[in-house]
Amino acid sequence: MTMKNLLFSISLKILILGILDALAIWSIITIIFDGYYWVGGILSLGVIIINYIFLSEKAYPFRYMVPGLIFLIIMVIYPIFYTIFVSFTNYGTGHILSKEQVIEQFENQYYLSEDNATYTYQVFKNNYGDLKVILYSLNGESYLCENEKKIIKVNLSDSRFIDIDKDGIIDQFDGYKKLDKIQIIQSLNELQNLRFKKDEYFIKLVSLTEFKVYSKKYQFDSLEDRLLDLKNGIIYYPIEGYFVSEQGERLAPGFRVSIGFKNFIRLIKSPQISNPFLRVFGWTFLWAFLSVITTFALGLTLAIVLNDPYLKFRKIYRTLLILPYSIPAFISCLIWRGFFNTEVGIVNRILNNFFQVIIPWLQDPIWAKVALVIVNLWLGFPYMMIITLGALQSIPSELGEAASIDGASGWQQFKKITFPLLLVSLAPLLIGSFAFNFNNFNVIYLVTQGRPAIPGAGTPAGSTDILISYTYRLAFEGVRGNQWGLASAVSLIIFIIVAIISAVGFRYTRALEEISKNV
Amino acid sequence: MYKKHSFTEAFIRNLFVWIFIAFAIFPFIWIFSASINPSNTLLGQSLIPKNFTWDRYIEFFTNEQHPFGLWILNSIKVSGITAIFTVILAALGAYAFSRFRFKGRRTGLLSLLLVQMFPQMLAMVAIYLLLLNIGKYISWLGLNQHISLIMVYLGGAMGFNMWLMKGYFDTISYSLEESAMIDGATHFQSFLRIILPLARPILAVIFILQFIGTYSDFILASILLSSKENYTLAVGLRLFITGQYTTRWGMFATASIIGALPIMMIFLLLQNQLVSGLTRGGVKE
Amino acid sequence: MKKFCVFFIVLVMLIGLVSIASASVPGKILIWCDETRAPVLEEVGKEFTAKYNVPVEVQEVGFGDIRGKLTTAAPVGEGADLIIGPHDWIGELIENGLLEPISLFGELRSKFVPVSLDAFTYGGKLYGLPYATESVALFYNKDLVPEPPATFEELITIAKGLTNREEGRYGFLIQTPDPYHLFPLLSATGGYVFGENPDGTTNPLDIGLANEGSIRGANLLLRLIKEGIEVPGADYQTVTGLFNEGKLGMMIAGPWTLGGIKEAGVNYAITKIPTIDGQVAKPFVGVQGFMISAFSENKLLARTFLTEFIATKDVMLKLYERATRPPAFLPALEEVSTNPDIQGIAISAADGIPMPKIPEMASVWGAWSDAIELIVNQKLEPDQAMKNAAEQIKKTIMGE
Repeated sequence: MTMKNLLFSISLKILILGILDALAIWSIITIIFDGYYWVGGILSLGVIIINYIFLSEKAYPFRYMVPGLIFLIIMVIYPIFYTIFVSFTNYGTGHILSKEQVIEQFENQYYLSEDNATYTYQVFKNNYGDLKVILYSLNGESYLCENEKKIIKVNLSDSRFIDIDKDGIIDQFDGYKKLDKIQIIQSLNELQNLRFKKDEYFIKLVSLTEFKVYSKKYQFDSLEDRLLDLKNGIIYYPIEGYFVSEQGERLAPGFRVSIGFKNFIRLIKSPQISNPFLRVFGWTFLWAFLSVITTFALGLTLAIVLNDPYLKFRKIYRTLLILPYSIPAFISCLIWRGFFNTEVGIVNRILNNFFQVIIPWLQDPIWAKVALVIVNLWLGFPYMMIITLGALQSIPSELGEAASIDGASGWQQFKKITFPLLLVSLAPLLIGSFAFNFNNFNVIYLVTQGRPAIPGAGTPAGSTDILISYTYRLAFEGVRGNQWGLASAVSLIIFIIVAIISAVGFRYTRALEEISKNV
Repeated sequence: MYKKHSFTEAFIRNLFVWIFIAFAIFPFIWIFSASINPSNTLLGQSLIPKNFTWDRYIEFFTNEQHPFGLWILNSIKVSGITAIFTVILAALGAYAFSRFRFKGRRTGLLSLLLVQMFPQMLAMVAIYLLLLNIGKYISWLGLNQHISLIMVYLGGAMGFNMWLMKGYFDTISYSLEESAMIDGATHFQSFLRIILPLARPILAVIFILQFIGTYSDFILASILLSSKENYTLAVGLRLFITGQYTTRWGMFATASIIGALPIMMIFLLLQNQLVSGLTRGGVKE
Repeated sequence: MKKFCVFFIVLVMLIGLVSIASASVPGKILIWCDETRAPVLEEVGKEFTAKYNVPVEVQEVGFGDIRGKLTTAAPVGEGADLIIGPHDWIGELIENGLLEPISLFGELRSKFVPVSLDAFTYGGKLYGLPYATESVALFYNKDLVPEPPATFEELITIAKGLTNREEGRYGFLIQTPDPYHLFPLLSATGGYVFGENPDGTTNPLDIGLANEGSIRGANLLLRLIKEGIEVPGADYQTVTGLFNEGKLGMMIAGPWTLGGIKEAGVNYAITKIPTIDGQVAKPFVGVQGFMISAFSENKLLARTFLTEFIATKDVMLKLYERATRPPAFLPALEEVSTNPDIQGIAISAADGIPMPKIPEMASVWGAWSDAIELIVNQKLEPDQAMKNAAEQIKKTIMGE
């Protein structure tokens, strides 16, 4: 590269980096000003690292990875941390809101005063947009009211109150004009926030037609960290995400709190989990394994056949063969579920016609598993076919030609050359497919829902349940609705299991790489 | 590796392929049948329903409550852009992992793959909150925007797609780049001018895979998109599925069939790239 | 965060589609409902806007997604003001602090079918404005079954006469495993899900699924299997599919199937479920209604929208037209009571009991479904299956 070019590209780089840094610094300051210290800190670290990468020669390779890594960190890594964080909390039904939000909800609760006093009203607005309200009590008294102020009794026959059309309703006073019904409805948001003081109570708008007198029901005492019921005098203490009274009365809603390892302990100790665990785990492993083997076998075979330049129409064939991949999985799963219907499904109709046999597909534990493997084969072989086609392109044809010259047959070529080379590139993807199917909640759920049920199980468990479908079901159909904290703990544990299996698999691919170098 | 076939050989091969084409198409025929079947059942007793109707195909483009045509366009747009940028990001990463040797290369690569295996279920809430907050500062990068959705999908670009590409790059002989760099080219230039053209088949493969993968996603998309005009086809179809008791199978089937066409077309178009270009010009050590 | 976004600007040039905000915004009403109700709500919303100049926006959200979306979005200010759904949602939503009570005073209150208000009442407060009630009933094909059976014995006789599995014809089917549809069989003879405390609240520890009545009902199901009437694997698709094709004489189904039935042109009629052992079969009654989010910025506006506008005969009738379920609003109900579909469902529902809405219900469906499946596949005896289910539920509710 010429000196001029070099200078140009370096200046360009510094310029761009400089602009970005300036923007970055400005936004980090904004973020820290808004109180997000952690985020600001992490961002600063990120900016520094990125600058280093682009300015230092040593870090040159990483420049290629920066864009992809940015997305990865934000969209994949951060959610993982979030999930781990949630797994240590009780986030779930009854504990969705934060403690502050719950306190706010309670402090916004009111109870009617004993006399159940009700007022009708008129709203008035002046040119500055200020609102004043005249309340009419049931016994004929009128009050002038302003937000947050005490109500003032007034006499409406006073001259400052003007009734233009003499219909008995005041139309304006002191520069304030009356709002009609439509305008009232448009201003309901403002009106709903008005509070007028009366003695130790306050008056607020409760419906389109009435103001009522209320008292605040709860008060949170932040010093002593407890909630007081002002009406009944009961004290509630925050215990494990609920406000509980001394008598054990529990208020809803609860709030989310960190509960440490409770979710994990529950998973490990609970008999509901551990009893079927081995069985479910065994099937999950088998299921993932079979899925990968069958789809890969079929995909590989088809890819090889369709890679043959002498085969006519192969482009059309290939396009037709990816059809399963182009229909949304949920419709195809439901269709297959119908196909396997014992009574009216197509599969049994054909079997009955030709072989006089009816198989209780979705009712029998073993046949249900077979059905699932078939469905997953249908869903998955196009993917395997595509990636194999891709990987095949990277095997130079000279290798094959050289081997033919040496007298090797097609099958031998495949066994000794093609297949090992393919495995080198594809092995990690096979492992990835294994991991994907290990957690393939969708297919199981849509086709069998984990059924058929295991008779006499301690919990609702199905013979085709995989680890993730079984445990998610426990988390979402458990004690009280959805338990996200528990489900997060489950996700984490499953991830650890899958990661271990995969890491072992990756070690194996390292060995493959060695072999391929010698080809 | 391949030789010209005799007639029987060709016949057997074609037959073999046709058996599996039948396997692949089989359910598709039923979906088609459901789309023309007036009673909204998914599995009618007869393949060609008694009084079949093409009405739904017309309704597909004219329905006001559910703008399917718009949804398909959204899907194509989002999937296409995601696929393009995935290819770019994956190629950049693959190049780095393939051509450079740096500390932590192997571990880093495997970690990238492992990280993709984390169960995604709760990621939804995390990403929702994230985009909500971003949206407060930058309004066009918040919730309910196609850009944000695309960015979420790009999080997975540096995963198995990248590994596949890296494997392909590995088989491209280094000698070409060596000679180019002796002539004064930078790494980046040799990446652009030498590697990428030679890697066309794998670029096409990754494009297709990412396009299809994005096209069918409904989980992330339905969390992030909330206004009807923005829905992708998968999200729109989901409206029909989570009904109290789904009865609109007919429309659903129709939408699925028409929705499959863009994928088929893209695949057809990109097939030409799936041919090995490696032997030309590559020198084996 | 902003920093990374700026990087995106440089790296990425994308065309973004700027869209309307979808959060609760002061001065505007945002409604979430599923695709069956969206069109009529939009129409009705436009009328409201025309009258009061307050914008109303309707967003279609998948029925099964509404609760989840509200749970995630509302606490961060992105939720709707109003949602539409069945009453059994309120237990969970209230536990999560997501619903705002609605006050209905005196005269307006009396305009609603009492049981519909009960259904939306929790802890003494009303949390929803009902607009339609629904339950399952006996649907039959008049061409195959000219006279509907009044007792279950009659039903079995008629069904046996019609069933010819070789030819793919069936006399009577209930979809399985589906506790909701099966419940009438259990309730007729005294079965129930959760018992009641003296003060009227539900007692989740009193599980009636394994009591004598429930077991009698379960045995009836087994009998249907053994006599060849009911078949394993008869899910919703299968049952409604067969009925729509004219191959099924009778089924227990709800008004949601009417759309498909009418489109298929079946000569159908609806009546109440036959009595079992002389006792009335009580189906679950579901009530559809409007609920206000506790995080809405427009609570009073939303409430006014409901009380002033929705709770009027005109609007209720419009809702009815799309919903084909008996209205819960008495003036509207009177108007449409001559519609035979409505009569059929209403008669059935009149005998029904509201579906329990406490969050503990979530633990019930799974175990109960499994029990039904085991009975239908003849893997377990009915009493064993139901007892197991009750045990499972009890264990789950009491927590591990």
